[in-house]
Amino acid sequence: MDLTFAPIEGKSRGFRRLMVVLGVLVAVMFASFMVMYLLGQQVWGTSNAIPWGQLITLDFFFVGVSAGAIVVSALCYVLRREEYKPIGRMAVLMGFLLFAGAMVTVLVDLGRIEKFWRVFAWGFMNNPTSMFAFNSIWYTGYLLLMAVYLWLAIENKTKWAMIIGTIDVLWALAVHSFTGAIVGLIGTREILSSPIKPFEFITAAVTSGTSLLIIAVYLTFKYTKRPLDNKIIISLGKILSYVIIILLVMIFFDKLTHIYFPAREGVLFLFTGPYWWLFWIFQIGMGIVFPLAVLFNPKTNKSVKWVLAACASVVIGVFGERAAIVIPGAAQVQQLYPGEIQGQWGMAGAFPITIWETLLTIGTLAFVALLFVLGLKYLEILPKGTEPKGEAVKHG
Amino acid sequence: MPRWGMVIDLDKCVGCQACSIACKEENNVPHGSPSEQKRKREIYWHRVISASEGEYPTSKDTLIPMPCMHCADAPCITVCPAKATYHRPDGIVVQDFRRCIGCRYCIVACPYGVRNFNFNDQVKQEYHRPETAPNRQTMGMWPFPQRTRGVVEKCIFCFHRIDQALREGKVVGKDVVPACVEECPTKARVFGDLDDPESEISHLLATRSSFRLREEFSTKPSVYYLHG
Repeated sequence: MDLTFAPIEGKSRGFRRLMVVLGVLVAVMFASFMVMYLLGQQVWGTSNAIPWGQLITLDFFFVGVSAGAIVVSALCYVLRREEYKPIGRMAVLMGFLLFAGAMVTVLVDLGRIEKFWRVFAWGFMNNPTSMFAFNSIWYTGYLLLMAVYLWLAIENKTKWAMIIGTIDVLWALAVHSFTGAIVGLIGTREILSSPIKPFEFITAAVTSGTSLLIIAVYLTFKYTKRPLDNKIIISLGKILSYVIIILLVMIFFDKLTHIYFPAREGVLFLFTGPYWWLFWIFQIGMGIVFPLAVLFNPKTNKSVKWVLAACASVVIGVFGERAAIVIPGAAQVQQLYPGEIQGQWGMAGAFPITIWETLLTIGTLAFVALLFVLGLKYLEILPKGTEPKGEAVKHG
Repeated sequence: MPRWGMVIDLDKCVGCQACSIACKEENNVPHGSPSEQKRKREIYWHRVISASEGEYPTSKDTLIPMPCMHCADAPCITVCPAKATYHRPDGIVVQDFRRCIGCRYCIVACPYGVRNFNFNDQVKQEYHRPETAPNRQTMGMWPFPQRTRGVVEKCIFCFHRIDQALREGKVVGKDVVPACVEECPTKARVFGDLDDPESEISHLLATRSSFRLREEFSTKPSVYYLHG
């Protein structure tokens, strides 16, 4: 397949409107960060009972979708499947920018942001036994690898792209597995602790990454008036359905392991506690049941619109799944002594949705979207289309 | 090198919270507002929890004073990415505010919930003592004159008292003890060297039935409880 790639024109009214909206949201992100930096994290919903909130949820989500996008890019550059060539560069760009977004979220979540460099002072000022510090090597290497991978893809150096792409895919799997290990290795928290958590994380990453890529591909090609073979969407939807099955099996055995033995307070708290809806509605309903119903129904799984609906459901569901780990995982009262702990120490943590934390979360999403649109404008990411001058992109 | 530990006799504890107040005064830990308490944002280096078992009239309530357990195998040290929390040679788990990056991983990992994040600058109210410390002439340099926003804090077994006592040749455990031990009106707490067979703490542990919280995690806490 001979394809010529080119930047989008980016001169239309729709493009300018999009840039203004994203620009305003990014300004809101900086403003809400400054509010937090000046007043402290008291303006967020976090507490000593739930020390991680929306930003860490978004961080886990970003790392996941990035890894998923890179895995999908392997269809084009590692497995050399020609039909995925039109979306190959976009998958790599998304992987790179989403991971950069993950780094931004984890950075702004720190109480003392100016000391972040300590985590990267390997073996000197950091603690290599910490999964945070251990991941600093993986994260740095991953960003560098993706930058090189993107450059090779844009320069059409297919042989080197295959080599670096293969390393990058393996690296992406490691990055996300070790990100899962950040929570999976916490033996004191019943909801978090699980040896299967790294694998559950990477499987959820592939589902959400594939879904977000499908949505981004559809919208980008549609609004830049580029021809897109619907078979790409349908075939990616098919791959997605199989990965969701694997994810379902992992979640089932993880929860079964935690509920089978009498020490089942953690999983019961997740199922029936104040955050039951995060698990049942988002993680199971939107992340598993609805997309499977769509993708295995012969009437809907060949419809682009239904596949897109399933993908949107998976993206929201996996975001909810991350929240179902971060928030109830810490909110559950630890069983310090036999019996019921009385008073405030026996109450599960509450996590209010606060304005500044939410604006920062939305702003960070807009920041990544802005970089993505700028990437489309200044890099040769998309195949040449039929877009008329001045009418190029209307919406991302 | 001594290995400092604490024994708390649950039979003697009356739950008066004098230990919690003494800790706040000694280490300038701020009194939180009602909203901070409600949101679980007030900083406690020491607290007393109450656990109830059974139904009235046969229910049993147990009061459990909880400083940091100063675990020999502390999960907070394992997970801290910036070496901000670490063991001193005498077994005390300390928290270095200048190293802490505020990632709060240690709060998630601590099995006892004794770590607190400093969410805001200390409010200047009557209790606020920005520079003063408890009698520096006798106590030496006080390590926590002011709060540092954005870092994690916890009990440090009043190591400033211990260090000062050792410099002055005093006996830790007899002449000088942590503030919570000193202020306990029922003498429910004993502090001393766990490795010294002659210490009162070793004597208590050898002669009385004791337990440590959440021993199933094998964190090997340095705080022991005598059954009530």
